Amino acid sequence: MTRVVVITSGKGGVGKTTTSAAFASGLALRGFKTCVIDFDVGLRNLDLIMGCERRVVYDFVNVINGEAKLTQALIKDKHCENLFVLPASQTRDKDALTEEGVEAVIKELEHMGFDYVVCDSPAGIERGAVLALTFADEAIVTTNPEVSSVRDSDRILGILQSKSRRAAEGREPVKEHLLVTRYSPKRVDDGEMLSYKDVQELLRVPLIGVIPESESVLHASNQGTPAIHLKGADVADAYTDVVARFLGEERPLRYVNYEKPGLIKRLFGGK
Amino acid sequence: MSAVQPPTARPIDFRDATLGTTVAVLRLVEPHLLADAMHKMLGGMPDFFSGEPAILDFAELAGEPERIDWAGLLSLMRRFQLQPVGVRNLAPELAAGARKAGLAVLDGIALGERGAKVPAAETPPQRPAAAPVPAPAPAAPPAAPVRAGTMIVERPLRSGQQVYARGADLVLLAGMSNGAEVIADGSIHCYGPLRGRAIAGAQGDTTARILSTNFGPEIVSIAGIYKTFENGIPAALAGKPAHVRLTGGDREHRLALEPLQLD
Ligand SMILES: Nc1ncnc2c1ncn2[C@@H]1O[C@H](COP(=O)(O)OP(=O)(O)OP(=O)(O)O)[C@@H](O)[C@H]1O
Ligand SMILES: [Mg+2]
Repeated sequence: MTRVVVITSGKGGVGKTTTSAAFASGLALRGFKTCVIDFDVGLRNLDLIMGCERRVVYDFVNVINGEAKLTQALIKDKHCENLFVLPASQTRDKDALTEEGVEAVIKELEHMGFDYVVCDSPAGIERGAVLALTFADEAIVTTNPEVSSVRDSDRILGILQSKSRRAAEGREPVKEHLLVTRYSPKRVDDGEMLSYKDVQELLRVPLIGVIPESESVLHASNQGTPAIHLKGADVADAYTDVVARFLGEERPLRYVNYEKPGLIKRLFGGK
Repeated sequence: MSAVQPPTARPIDFRDATLGTTVAVLRLVEPHLLADAMHKMLGGMPDFFSGEPAILDFAELAGEPERIDWAGLLSLMRRFQLQPVGVRNLAPELAAGARKAGLAVLDGIALGERGAKVPAAETPPQRPAAAPVPAPAPAAPPAAPVRAGTMIVERPLRSGQQVYARGADLVLLAGMSNGAEVIADGSIHCYGPLRGRAIAGAQGDTTARILSTNFGPEIVSIAGIYKTFENGIPAALAGKPAHVRLTGGDREHRLALEPLQLD
């Protein structure tokens, strides 16, 4: 059975695409045949973060319109054997996606034997975001530790409850996971940011991980390398933990506590 | 597709069906006033109704309008994903306009509605916003009436969601978030955080109460007497079990907020 996982948030710019790329790569690294779909029609950038933008010929909308076969549009990832990217179109208008079209593509991926389909949702709570979550079995609600992001995540959780197929058909509800991203323990310590515990307390969704704020994310996306591949980087570790927890393994949280710099560091500076 | 029809297949069949129909009880007809009220109720969830057919009911109209802007009214309803299909309790001189707008005139047709209607003249709904509003669909997404008199919501109620327990008590089993709204004609019992707007005794029942195991609302109201918390919630109650009721007898109703002993 294929599991469909939506990466969603309501608010824009919180790290959905970064997470989609890293999470899908992590599943593929664990041996699962995985497809990551960019639902952000008109603003595609998943292909940039995955480093496959030059290989995009056909896209999601072409497939839905019957202008290309799914197999023609799927791009094989350069890092992982089992990973495929279904890019969005930069030129189309937002209404190019239809519910029937999305359903047909997901059905076909199921026939092709995919274990996981990861849906990178656009921001907002409108059509595009609703389509991205309609067929979800699980949702990773990506939230930054600030009030506006928490509120938007709360909204999207409500929409998940009412608009997903699972909800519409009265099946078991979509399984919800909370992912706190761009987390800065120092700023939490200074009282400038909500702590991950605050976020969880407000949203009441099981926490699947905390991704630290890290400059290496920007470098990685400039290079077209999903953050999970960054050797030795805290973000890569944190995303690896997320995938492990998603697969049912227990991992303690890392990179969530602020350690005050020691005396030597304070005297001599340095990183 | 087969060209040969089985002998029993008729080209058309009629079946009895209870549609998932919403009745919008309009107390005003001016689209801009309604837009404002609907926005307040549903602002965060423009597609709350997900294309449900709707019947516009004019029984509780505040006055006798001379004309109705049908085009405006219909486009407003559609903007909130309601599909008006008919009208009822409309003055005969206005019915022609409704027909012209493509609406069926449905007087005298029983709809099998859930929930008892309270006659407007006896106990008009009192809401803090005093906004004329169409009655929301009793069937909000996560809610299921278990028996007459209680509605139970099992899942957390999220920002932008609204539940109305018409003629009933409301039990929230997983709390509610800031930005959510619950309205009950009876009492509200909230297990878990009570964080949004909680309106009990919406039809004027002064004995209704609001109970929560984790008190933190934006607004509480009982029978139209309300309290907001712009300056925060009293420390003795914030995040703790609490109890809201009306005290002070018929004339001098005031809200009493008290800690609740759960032990
Ligand atoms: N853990 C992180 N540390 C630092 N920067 C990050 C992190 N995660 C994401 N970013 C940065 O935040 C910005 C937005 O990230 P991303 O594109 O993944 O968000 P998004 O939610 O997909 O945005 P949109 O809503 O526009 O689709 C990017 O510049 C990205 O590099
Ligand atoms: Mg994105």
